[in-house]
Amino acid sequence: MALLKYESQVRPPLVNGTKDYHQVTEDIVRPIEARPGKLWWIGFLTAVGLLCFGMYSVYREVTYGIGQWNLNKTIGWGWDITNFVWWVGIGHAGTLISAILLLFRQGWRTGVNRAAEAMTIFAVMCAGQFPIWHMGRVWMAFFVLPYPNTRGPLWTNFNSPLLWDVFAISTYFTVSLLFWYCGLLPDLASVRDRAKLKWRKFFYGLTSFGWTGSTKHWQRHEALSLVLAGLSTPLVLSVHTIVSFDFATSVIPGWHTTIFPPYFVAGAIFSGFAMVQSLLIITRKVLHLEDYITLEHIEVMNKVIVLTGSIVGVAYLTELFIAWYGQNKFENWAFMQNRVNLFSPLGWSYYLMMGCNVLSPQIFWFRKMRRNLTVTFFMSVIVNIGMWFERFVIIVTSIYRDYIPSSWSTYYTPSVWEIGFYLGTFGLFFTCYFLFSKFFPVIALAEIKHILKKSGENFKEKMGDAEAEPVEEFAHEMAHAH
Amino acid sequence: MSDKKYWQTFGEHSNSEAFQEAAANEFREDLPVEGLDSTGLLDAKTPRRDFLKYLGFSTAAAALAASCEIPVKKVIPYVNKPENTIPGVADYYATTFQSGGDLVSVVAKVRDGRPIKLEGNELSSITKGGTSARVQASVLDLYDTARLRHPKQSDGNSFQEVTSLEAFDQLAATALGSLGGAPLVILTGTITSPTTKEIISQFLAKYPGSRHVQYDADSYSGMLLANEAAYGKKAIPSYQFDKAKVIVSLGADFLGTWLSPIEFARQYAAGRRVTDKNAEMSRHYQFESLLSVTGGNADKRFTLRPSETGPLALALLAELGGPVSAPALDGRLKSAVQLAAKDLSAAKGSALVVCGSNNPHVQLIVNAINEAIGANGTTINWAAPVLWRQGLDAEMSSLVADMDGGKVGALLVYGANPAYDYYDADKFRAAIKKVKTTISFNDRLDETTELCKYILPAPHFLESWGDAEPKTGYFSFMQPTIAPLFKTRSFEDSLLKWSGATDTYEAYFKAYWTAKLGGIDGYEKALQDGVVEPAAPSTGGAPFSSAKVSEAAAAIGSMKKGGAYELALYQKVSMGTGKQANNPWLLELPDPITKATWDNYAVVSPKYARDNWHIDLGDRRQADKFEVHPDRQVVSVKVGGKEITLPALVVPGVHDEVIGIAVGYGRQSANKDNTADYIGKAVVGAGRNAFPLATFNGLTVEWSAPEATCETTKEFYQVAQTQTHSNYEGRTEAVKELTLEDFKKSPDEILNEREEELKPYGGLKSFTEQGTLYGVYDKPGIHWGMSVDMNSCVGCGACVVACHAENNVSVVGKKEVLRYHDMHWLRIDRYFSGNLQEADSIQTVFQPMLCQHCDNAPCENVCPVSATNHSSEGLNQMAYNRCIGTRYCANNCPFKVRRFNWADYTGADSFPDNQNGIISDATMMMNDELPRMVLNPDVTVRSRGVMEKCSFCVQRLQEGKLKAKKADRPLKDMEDVRTACQQACPTEAIVFGNANDKESRIRQTRLENEGRLFYALEELHVLPNVNYLAKIRNTDVIQGKAGEKKEETAEKKA
Repeated sequence: MALLKYESQVRPPLVNGTKDYHQVTEDIVRPIEARPGKLWWIGFLTAVGLLCFGMYSVYREVTYGIGQWNLNKTIGWGWDITNFVWWVGIGHAGTLISAILLLFRQGWRTGVNRAAEAMTIFAVMCAGQFPIWHMGRVWMAFFVLPYPNTRGPLWTNFNSPLLWDVFAISTYFTVSLLFWYCGLLPDLASVRDRAKLKWRKFFYGLTSFGWTGSTKHWQRHEALSLVLAGLSTPLVLSVHTIVSFDFATSVIPGWHTTIFPPYFVAGAIFSGFAMVQSLLIITRKVLHLEDYITLEHIEVMNKVIVLTGSIVGVAYLTELFIAWYGQNKFENWAFMQNRVNLFSPLGWSYYLMMGCNVLSPQIFWFRKMRRNLTVTFFMSVIVNIGMWFERFVIIVTSIYRDYIPSSWSTYYTPSVWEIGFYLGTFGLFFTCYFLFSKFFPVIALAEIKHILKKSGENFKEKMGDAEAEPVEEFAHEMAHAH
Repeated sequence: MSDKKYWQTFGEHSNSEAFQEAAANEFREDLPVEGLDSTGLLDAKTPRRDFLKYLGFSTAAAALAASCEIPVKKVIPYVNKPENTIPGVADYYATTFQSGGDLVSVVAKVRDGRPIKLEGNELSSITKGGTSARVQASVLDLYDTARLRHPKQSDGNSFQEVTSLEAFDQLAATALGSLGGAPLVILTGTITSPTTKEIISQFLAKYPGSRHVQYDADSYSGMLLANEAAYGKKAIPSYQFDKAKVIVSLGADFLGTWLSPIEFARQYAAGRRVTDKNAEMSRHYQFESLLSVTGGNADKRFTLRPSETGPLALALLAELGGPVSAPALDGRLKSAVQLAAKDLSAAKGSALVVCGSNNPHVQLIVNAINEAIGANGTTINWAAPVLWRQGLDAEMSSLVADMDGGKVGALLVYGANPAYDYYDADKFRAAIKKVKTTISFNDRLDETTELCKYILPAPHFLESWGDAEPKTGYFSFMQPTIAPLFKTRSFEDSLLKWSGATDTYEAYFKAYWTAKLGGIDGYEKALQDGVVEPAAPSTGGAPFSSAKVSEAAAAIGSMKKGGAYELALYQKVSMGTGKQANNPWLLELPDPITKATWDNYAVVSPKYARDNWHIDLGDRRQADKFEVHPDRQVVSVKVGGKEITLPALVVPGVHDEVIGIAVGYGRQSANKDNTADYIGKAVVGAGRNAFPLATFNGLTVEWSAPEATCETTKEFYQVAQTQTHSNYEGRTEAVKELTLEDFKKSPDEILNEREEELKPYGGLKSFTEQGTLYGVYDKPGIHWGMSVDMNSCVGCGACVVACHAENNVSVVGKKEVLRYHDMHWLRIDRYFSGNLQEADSIQTVFQPMLCQHCDNAPCENVCPVSATNHSSEGLNQMAYNRCIGTRYCANNCPFKVRRFNWADYTGADSFPDNQNGIISDATMMMNDELPRMVLNPDVTVRSRGVMEKCSFCVQRLQEGKLKAKKADRPLKDMEDVRTACQQACPTEAIVFGNANDKESRIRQTRLENEGRLFYALEELHVLPNVNYLAKIRNTDVIQGKAGEKKEETAEKKA
C-alpha cells in the first residue's frame, strides 16, 4: 500500500527543482517588484502604438462611415466579424484550462491557468470591440440592451442570433473576469504583504480587497472558485455555439450548417491553446519561469492542439461530404466553387486554412516535436493564422457569391482602416498583457504551492515523512488537497 | 509530518484577545449585515429610495443626452396660405418633356411649389403613360447647379453678367442691327412646336436672306431622304410594332434609343404579351453589330459588320423577290436572311422591317422591303408621320461652310450643341469665330454657348409655356410648374420681343390655341389634359415609287468594304446624345447591357479579348479573375486620323470585328478646368467624346466607320459596373425561360417543376404551412403583391430612375460604385447565356430585382433590434431610426437587395465635415440646396450607417388607402395605388396591388399566368410577395438551359 504515496515514475513532476514556498514566491513576484526591463518597454510601447493606430482607425470609421472599410453591398461582413470570431475563439482556451481542468482535477493547470485566464479576458475584450464598432450607428448601440424604455413596442428582437451574442459575450466576459480576479486575490495579498513601497502597498491593498488569508477567506474563496468553475464550464461550450449561430441560423449557403456548434467549439479550443502556447513560450523565457511552465506543460497543450485540430479537420471534411451528399445546388456551389476551387477568386484562403489547421498540427503526433519549443512556437502562430482564415473562409467565401449571380461581388481586400482596427486589437491585447505581466503574478502563486506538496523533487525528498504516515491518513490528506 | 508550527498572521502569533474573538466569530452563521431590522435601513446614509432616484435620474439623463444629437432645422409655416396649395398635398400639372426632338407627354407632381417627379401622361395615345429613364431624370435637370442664373456677355476671354433682360435686349438689338445685310441663321434642334415655328418665321421675315437650320445630333437624315425618294415625303412614318407578327430590325435599337423607344416598347410588349390562354407572340429578328437593348430582347439575333447592313438589306430584298440581285454574304448571314425572309413573307401585311442606318440608300432598300412585305399602310402608318427628327445633315454641313466663308452675319443657337456633337466639331468651332454676332439661348455654358457672345439663359421645360407636335395632328402642351428659378426668358419670348411684338409668349400661346381649339374652354381643357389628339386615329399608306431602288442598290454595291475592324457608334439608353449629361441619376444608371455607370468605353467581343489580351472569358478561372477586378485595358481607337483612348469592356454578343463606342460622354469646356462650372460637376471625367469619329458621306452623317484600328495601350482604367457576373449558372430557381414552342406544348412545365420541387412539403398547396416549424397566420385585409413579367420587361431602366426620384435614393458617385456601394433599390439583373465565342448564340435576359417583401423574411428575424419587421399588409418594412447598422439583414438576404449607407451620401448626418474627400463631387452636388429641392418630402432621407431598401413605395400606399377611405370605398389598385416603378414602365411589365382582392389586377395576373408564374428561390420558404412570369423566347433553344443540360450529361458520364 505504500506505493500509493509515491509519485508515479511515468508522470513527470509539475514543478522542476527543489523549491520551497519562499523561493516560489520570490520567483513569481520578482518581475513585479523589479523595474521593467528594456524589452518590456519596447514591447509595451509597441503595443500602445498599435492601440493608438487602432483607435484612430475606429475614429475614422465612426466619423466617416463604414465605407472606410472595403465591405460592399454583397459582403456585409468581412474582417470585422472574422476578427470577432477569432478573438472569441482564442479566449476559450483560458476558460477550458481554468474551469474544466479544475473540475477534472488536472494538477498541471496551475502552471498556466493564470496567464491563460488573463488571455481569455483580454481576448474577449478585443473580440467585443468588433460587434460594437462594426455597427453603422454605434452611438445607438444601446438599442441592443433589453432595458425598460419609452420606445413603445420597439424592443430587442430575441429571435436574432446577434442578440444572443450580446448575452453570450457579456456573460462570458463577466464570469471570466470574476473567476480570474477571484483567483488573483490571495496572490495580490502576498504581493501587498511583501510590498516596501508606499504606492505598491496602497495599490495592492486596494486590489486585494482586504484579504487576510483567514480560514474563512480560504473557505469562501474555494467555494466561489468552484461555483465560478461550474458556471464557466458550460460557457466553454455555449459561447462559441452561440457565435456559430450567427451563421448556422441564416439562409446563406456555407453558413446554414448544423455542424457549426461543435465545430466552432473545437476550433475555438484549438486556436486558444495555440495562443496560450505563443504567449507562454515567451513569458516563461522572459520572466525565467521555465521551472513552473515546464516542457511538460507545453507537451500536454500540444496534445490538445493535435486533438482539436483533427476534430476540426474531420468537421471540414464532413462539411464537404454533406455539401456533395445533400445535393443542394447552392451549398454545393459554396463549397466546391467558392472554396475547393483553388482558382476561384478567394479559393486560396480555403487551402491556407486547410494547410494551417488540418495538416500542420499533425506534426505533433511526434513527441520530439511536441517538446521542441521552436517548433511549438512556430506552429502556434501557424494555427492561429489558419484559424483566422477559417473564419474568413466561412464568412466571406459564403456571402461573396451566394444565390443570385448578379450580386456576386468584386474582389474583397481590406482597407487600411480595416487592418488598422485589427492591429489595434492586438495593441489592446498586448497592452493589457504587458501590464498584466508587470503588475500581476503571471502564475497562480497560491495554487502552485498546493501542488508542491504532491509533486516534484520537494515531494520526493519529504517522502521519508510520508513513509512514516499511515496510508489512510495520507489518503485523507491527499483527497483534501488540490 | 513535521511538528513545526507555522503562524499565518501576527494576530495568531501573539494570540491577542481581538484575534481570539475574530477566530471565534469566523464561522458565524447569521449574515453579517447591519441594520436589516425595520429601522436601520432608512436611516442609513444612502437609503434604498435615494439610490433608486439617483439611478433613475442618471439613466434618464444619459439616455436623453445620447438621443439629442440631430441638428434642429426649423420649418416655418405660411403666414398667408397661397391659393390652390395645401401644404403636404401634391398638385399635378400636365406638361411635355422636351429634349431635342424627343417629346413625351408627362404629368408633373408638384409639392409645395416644387416639381419633384414626372409621370407619363396616360391621355397621350403615343406613350400611354410610359416614360423612359431620361424623362424620369429630367426633373433633376431643373435643379442643376450648373444652370445659368443671369444673362451674360462675352468679351472674348471671360463672361460678364448682364444686369437685366432689358439691357440684354438692347445689346442684342445693337448687334443684330449692325449686320449690314449679312444673313442671320437660327440654328436649333428639331422644333415641332407650331407656335415656335411661327414665331421663328415672323422673326426671320425681318432679316431677308436669313434661314432656320434644324440640326439633330442623332440625325435621321437618311430616312428623311429615302422617304422623300420613295414616298415623296421628307418625313418619317409612325410604326406599329404591336401589329407586326414578324419584326426584323437591321441595327435599329427601337426599344432603347431609336426614334420613339417608349412608344415602340409599349407596342412591342403588347405584341408579345403571353398568357396561359393566349400563347401567341411576335417573332423578332435582330441584325446588329453590337448588343443593344433591342438585340437583348430579340428571339433570333445575328451579328454583322456595320458595312454589311446595306448588302444584307439587299439580300433580304432579293430573297423577298425584289428587283435586285443579292450581293455575296457569308453563309451564316445568308441562311439568316433566308430564315427572316421566309417568316416575313409568311406574315405579309403584319410584318415590319426597320433599320438604324443613316444611309439614305440603305433606308431606301428597307422601304422597298417594307413595300414587298405589305408593311406600308399596315405596320407603317403614313397617316400620322412623326416630327421628332427634321434635321438634314447636308443643311448643317452647308451652314458650317457658310459660316466658315464669312457668309453668316449672325447665328442664334437654341437647343443645339454642335461644338460638342457635330461630327466635325473642330470645323464648327473655327467657323463660329468668323460669325460676327452669336447669341445662345441655353441653360448652361456648354461647348457651343461658351463660343457665343451673348448668352440668354433658357428656362427648363418645367418652367415654360409651350407646345409640341410629336406626330402630325397630335399636340402636347407645356405649362410652367414652378416660377422661374433664375433670370431666364424663353427663346420664343425673346424672338417676339426682338421682332417688335408687344405680346409675351404666354399671351401669344394662349391666343393661338384659344383660336385653334375654339375658345377658352378648349384651351383650358387642352392645358389640363396636356394633349390634343385626333378623335379617331387613322392608319394609311403612301404611294411607293421604286424608281430609285436600283440606283440605291448600285450605291450600296459600290460602298467601301470594311477593314480588319469596323467602328460602330451607338447611344446609351441613359445618356443618349449627351443633352442631359450633367444628370447624376442618369450617369449612375447602369447601362442595360454592360451594367457600367459613369463612363463610356469601347465595347469589344470576347474573341477580341482572347486574341489581343489572351483572356479567355469562356474559361471560368480567367473569367473569375477578370470580372472581380474593375481595371480594364485602355485601347486606342483610330478612325481616319482621329484617335480616342478609352477603356474596353468585353461584351458577349458583339461582332468579333466591330468596336463599339457610345456617344454622349466626354462633355468638356474649351478650357478643361471650366467644365465643372460651365457644364456641370458630374460630367467631369465621365468618358470621352466619340462624336468626332462619325463619318460624313456627303449626304448624311453615319455612326460607323468601315476602317478602324484598335490598339491596346499599356494603361488600365477602372470602369464602375454594378454587376460583374453575367451568367446565371443554370440557376433556374432564380431565372426561368422557355421557348414558345415548349410553352405551347406543355404550358404547365414550370408549374409541374415547382410542384415536384416542393413535393416533400406536400406540393405547392401546403408548402407555406409544411415548409416551416412555426405557426402560420392568416393574412386578412390588404396583402400587397407584385408581379414582374420578364417577357415584357425590355430592360430600359426607366423604373430604376423612377425609384431614384420617388424614394430619394442617393447617388454615390463613380468611386463608390467601383467599391460596389451603389444604392439602387431596384436593379435590373442582366444575364447572358450561350457560347461566348459565337456572338449569334448569345441570349440576354433582364430581371428587375427589388426587395421581394418575403412573408417569411430572413432579414427580419436576424435584426437584433427589430429595425426591419413585417407589416400586417405583407410589407417588409424598415424603421430607419431604429437601425443600428449591423448589416446582418443584408448578409442574410438571398436576393441581395438591401443597401447600406456606407458614407454620409445625403448630408443628413449629425457628424460635421465628414463628406469632403470621402464622397464624390457628384454626390456633393446632389447635397447642394438646389438639387435637394427635388427630394420627395414624403420619404425619409436616410443618414449614414442605416440599411435601406425597396418599400413598395409605402408612402404611395398610405396615400392610396387614405384616398379610398375618404371616398368611403374599397381600395382600387391602379387607381389608388401604383408603385413608382410600375407607373414608369412603358411596357406594363410590373403589376402591383392587393393580392387579397379578387378583382385586383395582381390577382388576375397571377391567375391568368399560372403556367409562367414563379417565385425566385421559392424553395427557401422565404415566401416572397413578388412573383415573376417566365421569359418566353420565340426561338428553338434556351441557351441558359442548354448549358445546364450539358453539365448534367457530363456529370452522368463522369
